[in-house]
Amino acid sequence: MAQPRELMVSTEGLTKTFKVGQRKITVLKDITLKINKASFTVICGPSGSGKTTLLNLIGGIDKPTKGKITVAGQELNDKDEDFLSEFRCSHVGFVFQAYNLVSTLTVEENVAFPMEWLRKPPEHIHQRVSELLITVGLENRATHFSAQLSGGEQQRVAFARALANDPEVILADEPTGNLDAKNAQKIVQTLQFLKSNGKTVIVSTHDQQIRVLADNIICLDEGKLASNNE
Amino acid sequence: MSNSAGFPVNDLLRRKTQTGLTVTTLTLSVASTLFLLQFSSRLGLGLTSQTSTLTLGLTAVLGQFLLFTGVLIFIIGAVLTSISVFLMMSQRTRDFALIKAVGCPNSLVGGYFMTELLTVTLVSTILGIVFGFLADFVVAVLVFSSYILPILWYPILIFFTFFVLAFLFGLQPILKAAQLSALEALSPVTYFGLTEEAKHKPLSRRALTWRIALRSLYRRQTATVRIIFLLSTVFILLTVSVAGGIIAGDTSISSIEKPIGRDTLAIGQVAMINQFKLELEKFSQKTHENSDFNYSNQQYAIPYTLIEQLQTLNSVALVDPRLVLHEEVAEQPSIALGSSTADTYDVGGYRKGQSIVIGIDPALCSGSWTIKGRFLENNAITEAVVGDSIAETMYVPNFKEGINISDPLLEGISIANGDFKIVGVVVDPINNGFVTYVQIDGLQRATGIYHNNLLIVKLSNSTGRDIAINEIETAAREYGLAVYDLNLSVEKNAAFLSSTWQTIMFLPSAILASAAICLVAYMMLSVNEQLQEFAIIRAIGAKPNIIVSISAIQSCIVLLSSSGIGLSFGTIITFIILIANPVFTPLTILVISGWILAALIAMFFLSLYPAFRASKKSILEIMI
Repeated sequence: MAQPRELMVSTEGLTKTFKVGQRKITVLKDITLKINKASFTVICGPSGSGKTTLLNLIGGIDKPTKGKITVAGQELNDKDEDFLSEFRCSHVGFVFQAYNLVSTLTVEENVAFPMEWLRKPPEHIHQRVSELLITVGLENRATHFSAQLSGGEQQRVAFARALANDPEVILADEPTGNLDAKNAQKIVQTLQFLKSNGKTVIVSTHDQQIRVLADNIICLDEGKLASNNE
Repeated sequence: MSNSAGFPVNDLLRRKTQTGLTVTTLTLSVASTLFLLQFSSRLGLGLTSQTSTLTLGLTAVLGQFLLFTGVLIFIIGAVLTSISVFLMMSQRTRDFALIKAVGCPNSLVGGYFMTELLTVTLVSTILGIVFGFLADFVVAVLVFSSYILPILWYPILIFFTFFVLAFLFGLQPILKAAQLSALEALSPVTYFGLTEEAKHKPLSRRALTWRIALRSLYRRQTATVRIIFLLSTVFILLTVSVAGGIIAGDTSISSIEKPIGRDTLAIGQVAMINQFKLELEKFSQKTHENSDFNYSNQQYAIPYTLIEQLQTLNSVALVDPRLVLHEEVAEQPSIALGSSTADTYDVGGYRKGQSIVIGIDPALCSGSWTIKGRFLENNAITEAVVGDSIAETMYVPNFKEGINISDPLLEGISIANGDFKIVGVVVDPINNGFVTYVQIDGLQRATGIYHNNLLIVKLSNSTGRDIAINEIETAAREYGLAVYDLNLSVEKNAAFLSSTWQTIMFLPSAILASAAICLVAYMMLSVNEQLQEFAIIRAIGAKPNIIVSISAIQSCIVLLSSSGIGLSFGTIITFIILIANPVFTPLTILVISGWILAALIAMFFLSLYPAFRASKKSILEIMI
């Protein structure tokens, strides 16, 4: 008999509404889904379908208006900002479409930041930063600032930063959206590497190369769950 | 509305927060400058109307103080205005490039931004002038209980200067952006300004927070340097106002206390005592002495036997016999040598004035003076020391009368039949500084009046004050003389001067408020500019209080560097330029330090307000 797989993410009736002036816009409507540990999930859907909002809710960057969300065994609905910060730092690695590196920190400082925030020992941080920069092929750019890197390089630094604390779940929001084919290929290789290392990866993307890696594809349409092909 | 005017106005309205911040900062800057200048001008007018009290020397010191404060207030306002506009327009460099990149010609984009700049500066300066007038009106009614229309060239000067400054400083980043190609302007290297490689390895979480704070300051180095310059000027002004105000207050109070001294009594005929009291209290009250009073009357003479008797009393430390007269005095010009021995030039003229002339024995003198030059030497019967009001009226250049050079210390004074060389100028409350001191023998020889008409007696510490006064009164009564406790007049004069300084010290409070507004406005712009960065840091796991930590570090650096510069220069200016012979005690230093420390702490906490507000927002709110 097959072992029941452990859940990494589960949502129940997840709804998110934004207030724009006097208008209320519901971006996610009643989303119920389950994502297993060590799975590779792709979230797809047209622009404005709620992909980024769903990732933000899973990453604890945003809170749902209604419904329940549990990530890595933690129910996130009623948690305060300090808890969510701690949670993001320890359990989640986030890769943004716009890279979002801290422009005032160098490459190695950007990668070290989440570890510094968890007060890891300096020796561990130095070693981990070196390892991660070698993994993403940027060991020779350690002391550069983000403004001195190309888009692809910045995205690879963002991946290295997301992996710094060895998080249980990695969220990537259209990681190849701003990259050319060559750089996109390097990101796909990084994602493959994460998959082979048993990480739970959730990627919002339109990229076919990434979709082929998926164990599970969740499609959103106008904020609703259109399909969930496990 | 035409399209060219419509875009800038809509753009400003769309960016409500930034536009609001800049307009508020500029309005406050113009309003506070106008208000402070008008307020100090009202204080100055108040002082001028008090010339029947105060000595002319002290009025000049207060006037100088207010003038200097006024100039600094104007500079602060001008710098703040230029910084605000510069920051606002610098933040638009990227937008300028974006509009250019989508095909809009350089001249049209330049026109849009120029219109925005003009709109913001014009609206802010007009609002500033209106609010400045309103604040002045409210304070004038509350503090001075009446409203006189202020000097009208102040608002005109402020309006044009600030408008031109704001426009020129705002124009700089627009011109810079116009010269950049769209590609250059959009490059993160140009935008962030960070191109050097970092040399140090990350050490700790605290070190990273410091690095983000320091590098953000460095990235905005033009703005940082300007705000440090602005706050340095604020701190110079604050030091001059607080330290200068307190020390100048103490110094001037000491200057009017010292000539009489504490624990001194005056002994003389009742009429003479009353007249002397009126001469002494003229400094603080609009009283008039009896102009027909005959000082030289023989009946006011003090018997020598009383002087001898008083000198034997244990309760008496010193008996200072004086001859007090009211005389017409005349300037005695002189010739001074130039740089080469062949050169000579005329000093002074033949001006005349009225003065209380006091003959004293320098060896027995109970008072001491704040003096320019020196006091009378023993037996120097042809020397004189004049009060500051005599010096300010009879010994100043008067070009209409052809007196191009005048200096009391190079000239002389004629009293009755005697000529005296002036050796010092003193601050003295008697007759509001229209007073001349000469050696008593010299005065007696010049006037032919060979008696004393007033005794100043200094009490010793050995007996109780009341017992001593009682003893002296008993002795004086035997000769039909009255005793007056001079402490009463000294206290009245000191209280008056102290209240004058307290009114002036309202300025530092207003300046502090203005400085705090400057800093908060700067921190608002600074936090606003770093919001995206803060959101990223928080998204990767930092707690909300990191925003406050980073802002606190930045605010500390800005405040400490500017207060360091400001306090150093302020102290130099206070001591070297404004107060020649400062009087300060450990308590004075404590009070000044307390004021400045309180100002620094208040400004520091106020400056954190924008960061606290930002830390309360959610990550997505900030990112949007």
